[in-house]
Amino acid sequence: MKPEEAVERARAAAARRRAGGGYALDVEPGALAAGEPVTREQLLEWALIEPDPGLVRSTRRYGAPITWAKRGLVHVLRQYFTEAHAQQTRFNLHMVAAWTDLEARVAALEETAAERKPRPPA
Amino acid sequence: MIVHQLLSGAGPHDAVTGQALAYRRRFDAWGWGGRDHAATADPRLGRAVRPLHALEAAPTDVLLLHYSAHAPGLAPLLKRPNPKALVFHNVTPARYFWDWDPITAVRCEVGREQLARFAPAVDLAVGVSAYNVAELEAAGARETAVVPILVEPARLGPPGPARAGAGPGPHLLFVGRLAPHKRQDELIRTLALLRAEHATDARLTLVGAPASAAYADGLRALADRLAPGAVTIEHGLSAPELADRYRAADAFVCLSEHEGFCVPLLEAFHFGVPVVARPAGGIAEVAGDAALLTEDADLAVVAELALAAATDAELRGELIARGRARLDEYEPAKVAAALRAALERVASGTWNATKPSGAPPS
Repeated sequence: MKPEEAVERARAAAARRRAGGGYALDVEPGALAAGEPVTREQLLEWALIEPDPGLVRSTRRYGAPITWAKRGLVHVLRQYFTEAHAQQTRFNLHMVAAWTDLEARVAALEETAAERKPRPPA
Repeated sequence: MIVHQLLSGAGPHDAVTGQALAYRRRFDAWGWGGRDHAATADPRLGRAVRPLHALEAAPTDVLLLHYSAHAPGLAPLLKRPNPKALVFHNVTPARYFWDWDPITAVRCEVGREQLARFAPAVDLAVGVSAYNVAELEAAGARETAVVPILVEPARLGPPGPARAGAGPGPHLLFVGRLAPHKRQDELIRTLALLRAEHATDARLTLVGAPASAAYADGLRALADRLAPGAVTIEHGLSAPELADRYRAADAFVCLSEHEGFCVPLLEAFHFGVPVVARPAGGIAEVAGDAALLTEDADLAVVAELALAAATDAELRGELIARGRARLDEYEPAKVAAALRAALERVASGTWNATKPSGAPPS
């Protein structure tokens, strides 16, 4: 077979097999689903960030002094972390507000569209 | 001549970094100076790539920016008076990543938007394919040139003996990051159809690092449902291991929906593996007449094509011969000469001489 003939032949072969009951396997067409989307409740919960200082620790076997030093650093840098925390929270809250507004607008549009849709004759 | 290469990020397995280091080997061979810098660099690169803040460039040194996504660290360099060129490696549309990897999605979205700021601000915008150049022109680039990726597939190893018919079942291969736009899910579905209709022992090997762990898990789950035990997913291979995967393949199948260039096509040509591909982005341009290209959404057609590419001796022979001829087009010496000519013109200001009147100063 010449390369130039291959695609047409492949289409014909697929059609022939399908006509004979072939290619019936369900291969779950479409893009791979990425699981459940993030809900509004989850987003609200995540928006108010509250890092747990207890998570700042060493994972080494004798890491107690390192844990102590890391927590000391967090304490020393608290002014910087407070600022970073505030900036992130500001963005998060604006994002949640924008999403909430968008949801309300979409709901209103859907409601309007449903009202405009002609009802089927009884 | 002195050329400094500037990257937003650099890592030991990053394709853009690999390209920059390949350029640097050529620059060294030509006796050119300069250093490579990145806004963030993996420490494993050692002194090969230095921090961006350590850049010391005289006003006549050429700055060569590599652009592949959002590059905040590179933006201030656009204000420098130096002659500047940009190599556009393309940016994947963000829509593929929102559900799986939102951070990458944001980087891609911003990267695409900011291309309109970078492209007009350089003296020469280089695309690795005509497809990429069209995007650069749409983004406002004043002068453009195609300089393909400097690919040296022979560095992986020699092709090895012809494989058709050796071993059980057709063995399909795809090499590329496990990412939604590469559509490895479609390859798994194609394999399932091939096994159901023609060859129960057909296999598929996917080589590529996962863009996200969740996406790789999704692919594995799909493979377990549709073709249990027939799909191998691996990454982090050494060059000899990757060469072995090519040598063991009967056909290379690529159903990617977005590619700026697609280096693995040329690697498949080098190893004499027939190629079936979707002509997305720069693929048709790189593959030429050496691949079976189909836009069919019907995976039954893809399965029939993959089977033909893997088993039809006449078809395989012709595709392999055309693939070898195609490699000549991307011969490293030719690409290096095009790169050198482009950069020498940037350095000499020749591109500036052809600027349309009213164009903003560089």
